[in-house]
Amino acid sequence: MTELPVTEAELQALVDGRLSTDRAKAIDAWLLDHPAEAQRISSYRSQRDALRAALDPVLEEPLPLALDLRVNERPNFPRHDIRQMLVAACAAALVFVGGAGGWTLRSWTAPPSVGTAALAREGIASYSVYASDHARPVELAADHRHALDGWFSERLSRPVSAPNLDPAGLHLIGGRLIATEHGPAGLYLYRNGAGETVALYVRPMDVDKTDRMTPREKDGVRGWTWADDGMGFGVFGAAPGNYLHDAANLVRRQFSPA
Amino acid sequence: MRPPPEMIEQVQPMIPSLRRYARGLLRDAEDADDLVQDVFERVLGRWHLRQAGSLRPWIFSILHNLAMDRLRQRARRGSAATLESVPESQLAVSASQEGQVEQRDILGLVQSMPEEHRSILLLIGVEELSYAEAAEVLRVPQGTVMSRLSRARERLRRMVEEGASAEGRPSLRIVS
Repeated sequence: MTELPVTEAELQALVDGRLSTDRAKAIDAWLLDHPAEAQRISSYRSQRDALRAALDPVLEEPLPLALDLRVNERPNFPRHDIRQMLVAACAAALVFVGGAGGWTLRSWTAPPSVGTAALAREGIASYSVYASDHARPVELAADHRHALDGWFSERLSRPVSAPNLDPAGLHLIGGRLIATEHGPAGLYLYRNGAGETVALYVRPMDVDKTDRMTPREKDGVRGWTWADDGMGFGVFGAAPGNYLHDAANLVRRQFSPA
Repeated sequence: MRPPPEMIEQVQPMIPSLRRYARGLLRDAEDADDLVQDVFERVLGRWHLRQAGSLRPWIFSILHNLAMDRLRQRARRGSAATLESVPESQLAVSASQEGQVEQRDILGLVQSMPEEHRSILLLIGVEELSYAEAAEVLRVPQGTVMSRLSRARERLRRMVEEGASAEGRPSLRIVS
């Protein structure tokens, strides 16, 4: 049989599984008579496999919020430099703020001690302290749900009730009242089948009475904040951002005025 | 400027693979993710310049070029992280198990290779780009892709063998 000479490019393509079946078979047969080459090819295959095995775990890592294009409704790309320019230009720009673009500038210029940025800090701190408290994460457990809702509604001067997060696999374990510089806040804690805890944090807002959903992250705790009609909300946890986003959407729908 | 829905739809599925290539090139996880963010910025700015049908090589070429810029900056600053100076937490794989030590070592070995060898091993072996796509990403003829691939694999093989014969941790001396 007349065989075409085996080329180095073909040997590489064999490693990569990119030869036609016939040619691959022919070269496999050729390798039987060329043990040194066969060993070389086998070594290339194992280095490729080792490299894949070392890097493939990256694919399984949860996507950081900053790298999730779907959550980047707010432009995440223009970072510090552009942000600073915008803040600097803000006084002039304020005249034009309003409509669709308003939130962008406002969320960048509102001082971090107020608004949903402050709410995010409080909520993340509360999550960190209470979600990890195995002895007593909540003050009132879920079997006192009505008392809990009533207590929050009274202290927050708003009708508040624990939303149903079953679609996200989260069940209420209870809640507690939190003291903040901006008055009382309510913390509901939920847990899923995997044992992950998710916090819903609510309080009335003086600043950012209405604010779009914004991703937050600090010290390994992720979440989302928003505000509707003077009430601020935050959903926080250590679970992947997409999961928390789903939970946040569930909460938001249930709190939206009918 | 926010990403157009079309960009989200087409680029989002590539993000894990972009992160993986960035990690393979830069090693440092934070640096790599930061790089991917730069890629988004660039892709967003040039979205109107993309050509139909070849989005993946186009985006990989943007990533590749930005990564090369970063590596050059590192080199200029003299801050190139050597394997020993990279904190354990920044290594892609922990060394808690024996099998994983090997995986970590291969990253260390590849990291010590010249950039053109590292990138070809990653693009073809890990990201599974076609030879033609890799040629597009690296802006070289396809023949160059093949010869580089061949040289890179052979070099890595010799490094691994030399490491194995030296006992214990693979030596990171570069065999030329």
